[in-house]
Amino acid sequence: MLLVPIVLPLIGGILVFRQKTEKTRNRLTLGVMAITAAAVALVCLLPEQSLTLMDIQGSLQMGLRSDGLAKFFMVLTTVIWLPVGLYCLPYLRHVGHEQQFLGFYTMTLSALIGLALACNFVTLYMFFEMMSLITVPLVLHNGTPASRRAGLKYLGYSVFGAGMALAGYFFLSHFLTTQNFVGGGALNRGLAMAHTPLLLVVYVVMMVGFGAKAGMMPLQAWLPTAHPVAPAPASAVLSGIITKGGVLAMIRVTYYMFGPDFLRSSWAQWLLIALALCTVFIGSMLALRERQLKRRLAYSTISQVAYVLFGLLLLTPGGVEGALLQMVFHALAKDTLFLAAGAIILSTNTTQIDQLAGIGKRMPVTMWCVTLASLSLIGVPPMGGFVSKWNLLLAALDSGSPTAGYAGVGMLILSALLTAGYLLPIVTRGFFPGKDILVERKEVGWQMTVPMLALALAALVLGIFPMGLQDWVTGLLGQIF
Amino acid sequence: MRTFLILFLILFPFAAAYPIYPLRRRNRHYRDVYVRVIAAVELAVSLGLLFTPGKTAVLSRIMGLGMQFQAGSLSTLMAVLSAFLWLMTALSSREYFANTEHCNRYYFFWLLTLGALMGVFLAADLFTLFVFFEIMSFTSFAWVAQSEEPIALRAAQTYLAISVFGGMALLVGLLLLYQMLGTLAFDRLPGLVAALDARQHTRLLVAGLLCLTGFGAKAGLVPLHIWLPKAHPVAPAPASALLSGILTKSGVFGILVVSRYLFFSGQEWNTVVLWLGTATMVLGAVLALLAVDLKRILACSSMSQIGFIAIGVAMQGFLGEENALAAWGTVLHMLNHALIKLVLFVAAGVVYMGTHSLNLNDIRGWGRNKPLLKTMFFIGAASIAGVPFFSGYVSKTLLHESLVEMIRELSAHGADTTAFETVEWLFLISGGLTVAYMTKLYVALFIDPRADNQRFTAREYMTPATRFALSLGAVALAVFGLFPQLTMEPLAQWAGRFLQAGPGHGTIHYLAWENLEGALISLGIGVVVYVVVVRVLLMRWEGEREVYASVWPTKLDLEDLVYRPVLRALSFVGATCARAIASVGDLIVLAGEKLLFLRAPGVFVPKRNENFGVYIRRPKRFLIGETFAFDLTLAGIGLIGALVYILLR
Repeated sequence: MLLVPIVLPLIGGILVFRQKTEKTRNRLTLGVMAITAAAVALVCLLPEQSLTLMDIQGSLQMGLRSDGLAKFFMVLTTVIWLPVGLYCLPYLRHVGHEQQFLGFYTMTLSALIGLALACNFVTLYMFFEMMSLITVPLVLHNGTPASRRAGLKYLGYSVFGAGMALAGYFFLSHFLTTQNFVGGGALNRGLAMAHTPLLLVVYVVMMVGFGAKAGMMPLQAWLPTAHPVAPAPASAVLSGIITKGGVLAMIRVTYYMFGPDFLRSSWAQWLLIALALCTVFIGSMLALRERQLKRRLAYSTISQVAYVLFGLLLLTPGGVEGALLQMVFHALAKDTLFLAAGAIILSTNTTQIDQLAGIGKRMPVTMWCVTLASLSLIGVPPMGGFVSKWNLLLAALDSGSPTAGYAGVGMLILSALLTAGYLLPIVTRGFFPGKDILVERKEVGWQMTVPMLALALAALVLGIFPMGLQDWVTGLLGQIF
Repeated sequence: MRTFLILFLILFPFAAAYPIYPLRRRNRHYRDVYVRVIAAVELAVSLGLLFTPGKTAVLSRIMGLGMQFQAGSLSTLMAVLSAFLWLMTALSSREYFANTEHCNRYYFFWLLTLGALMGVFLAADLFTLFVFFEIMSFTSFAWVAQSEEPIALRAAQTYLAISVFGGMALLVGLLLLYQMLGTLAFDRLPGLVAALDARQHTRLLVAGLLCLTGFGAKAGLVPLHIWLPKAHPVAPAPASALLSGILTKSGVFGILVVSRYLFFSGQEWNTVVLWLGTATMVLGAVLALLAVDLKRILACSSMSQIGFIAIGVAMQGFLGEENALAAWGTVLHMLNHALIKLVLFVAAGVVYMGTHSLNLNDIRGWGRNKPLLKTMFFIGAASIAGVPFFSGYVSKTLLHESLVEMIRELSAHGADTTAFETVEWLFLISGGLTVAYMTKLYVALFIDPRADNQRFTAREYMTPATRFALSLGAVALAVFGLFPQLTMEPLAQWAGRFLQAGPGHGTIHYLAWENLEGALISLGIGVVVYVVVVRVLLMRWEGEREVYASVWPTKLDLEDLVYRPVLRALSFVGATCARAIASVGDLIVLAGEKLLFLRAPGVFVPKRNENFGVYIRRPKRFLIGETFAFDLTLAGIGLIGALVYILLR
């Protein structure tokens, strides 16, 4: 059963490559994604299952397990994947090579679900590399030299990062009681205590390695290069979901291998918190000075995903709750923004923010989505981003260390102000351009507006009624702490 | 029943805002009737709150923390007042917007703001209050930017920036409070604060000051007042009336809640509020006196009146158990000021429609032959100036009386009264300035000779609906002023319960000499200032006639001089640092490319030589092999190989 949502999109993606006519291709893509979604739903409804794929040697296995975190990530992925997939279809008509993009797009879903379901580090690593490799064609889809270079930069950073993590694992595996992920950590305490400094270095190396995917300093530089050149749906999932793949791997390393008790109040925790806060700052600050729309959004992703990392690294239940909520709401909001950026590019052929005056009168539906998503990213009630930010800030204040807590609150609030500074002018200039700017209405088709609306409204509705989501996340926390 | 009413009051405008667009598509008239009906329903329902006993409404877990609402006392008073102002502005809006674009947008945000404002006033915990406060900030942005003139857009930008900043400060303040106290419900706060140990009082004060920043930004307290004199004049007149009359009160309401439920008589807190209020009061009055734009004068006057109210808030804390006068004065001045600004701004809208200008020199004498407008305006102006027998006199007297009482009490204990005496004198002087600038407005509009190039308006210079709205506001003010014991005192006593006001001492004789004294001093100062400053110093001869001169140098602007340059500099410095930090990763990669991989240097290109020709670089066909990323890929593959080897060994 666990294999179905992994194998299905993989085969489906390969089949999509071979479809020549648009109609069958679109139907196949959407059909495969819908069936995968159904399979994911089924897996989530069933109790926890596990499955061993193969024994490599001794205690090392490749295996899958549908634990709480896996279910959470799978649902998040699928929920984002479907609307973005619907958006892809008309968008790609303007870009060309549809079957190539859709094929890889479908296959990426397989890698992500595999990443979520992986029950030990080896499996996780395999799916992580698979995800990096399959998403490269999405980035360099446009085929320009710039996009090719960006794709390879992305690949380089990802692979280098994953390599760092793997190198760390070589050291770590010796100290684990079991190779499988165990909520709360699987360290052999007696052995680990004797080698604490080594293990902390290993931890930092692994986190920085996976941090490359999540856009954490110092390996964040691929994001602003890759996003502007990739097609909009690719940027959307790259920002919304793939970076979260890195976060997922970091959660697995922190909470399922090392365990929060081992790391709490170590220098490694403070170092990584400092890195995360630094990332929050540079992301927001550079976004504020950036004039190109998609690159501004990429910088914004860097800072927003670093909120998630900050929450995780607090190593408290509240922090993880805030982080997981932030994961969801950032995915919803940022995907809306990237899809809207794509729609704007299609409608106006411009990516420069200066030229977007009056865009709200040209594309009102799109810009309403942008407004909602922007407010969510800033953290304005009643949008969902507010709920996650409230939880994160509260967790920061409640964390054992006042220094880290106040620094975190200060940085998050500063970043929220900067976020308002770089997102709201787009909206206000879009809707209130001044009297002398006349624009005609030219909205994109329903296939593009409906996904955006769905995501933006989801951020609003889940913000007002976050109970279900919060209960789910709280249930998850029980498995970790 | 009451739960239903409260939720209806809040959610109904949110829901009712959406049909505006389809209705307008059918007919403009339908839309105009529709918004009036909505406002009327809202007013009726809010009046219904008075007659339904009941408890608070709780929506658990909405927005994570859950929301609580309550009605009664000040909450109901403010809700009824908002609904009333909304209905009155709805009546006058139609005429004002007869020939303008984007009315749908205005009405849409007008209704959203009403819902949010109801949420603010009916909140029973600070979290709920904050949520609706933020919604209100963003929806009212559209009012300021409505006309899309460059000056309006700039003012709207300032407003938005201040709102966002204030909102974030408020958020941090509430977080600190929540973390310390575990709840934000009004009725549980005082007990929890009393139970805090002494070490946490600094933290409490910090949290309170952050809340004060957030609420003060909306109320227009110094130094975050900069948006107010800019945003109010550029908004459409009905919106200005609401911005000045009631939206600023939402900030005051927040300050009241924080100061009454968290810092009952905390010395530091009340001192801060007192001095901020005093500074706002004086600065607003001075700015109003120097301005020559009708709506700007009214906006600065709002700022000044908010300062009076803030002094009342602080005095409630200082006076402890004896604070009935201060609490009543605060409530009544909030009420009066809302009604006064309704009348004055709607009148300003009428003037603007008649003359298409707001400059005093263009509109002077326009109202000479319009007795109705003249009367209405006079009632508003006299009320705000605190002339006896008008409503403003009562509330200002109460506020002044609370200051006098404080001084009396302090001197009875032999304590130093300099600070409060200073505040009292500034209070009286600001009252005098109020008299002076309202006289300036009144004389310019209704007594001065008519300015040239004014169109002679038809006899019907305002529609019956506007006339009705204006009259109702003015009549309410007049009735309040003439029969304070019957109207204002019961209201104040009822609303004072929310502020935990102590019991009053018997009846107040408003016309007793000790009460009249302050008002007469103010009036005297006002007359002197008007004659000496306005007529002599602020008038200039231009050709044949005397004109009102704007002597305030435009360069001297806190926003342009300080806030914007500082923000620009900070963002430049921040971006430079961020750029430097962010390029560390890329630099390493670059260094790696240059150092680690000792590539063959580029093909040697000798000097151009006729005999030997030039070697041209062959065009690259395989770009991938050149990049560092490719090398990293190889490294990754190598690591995979190593893993596989180790695993299989």
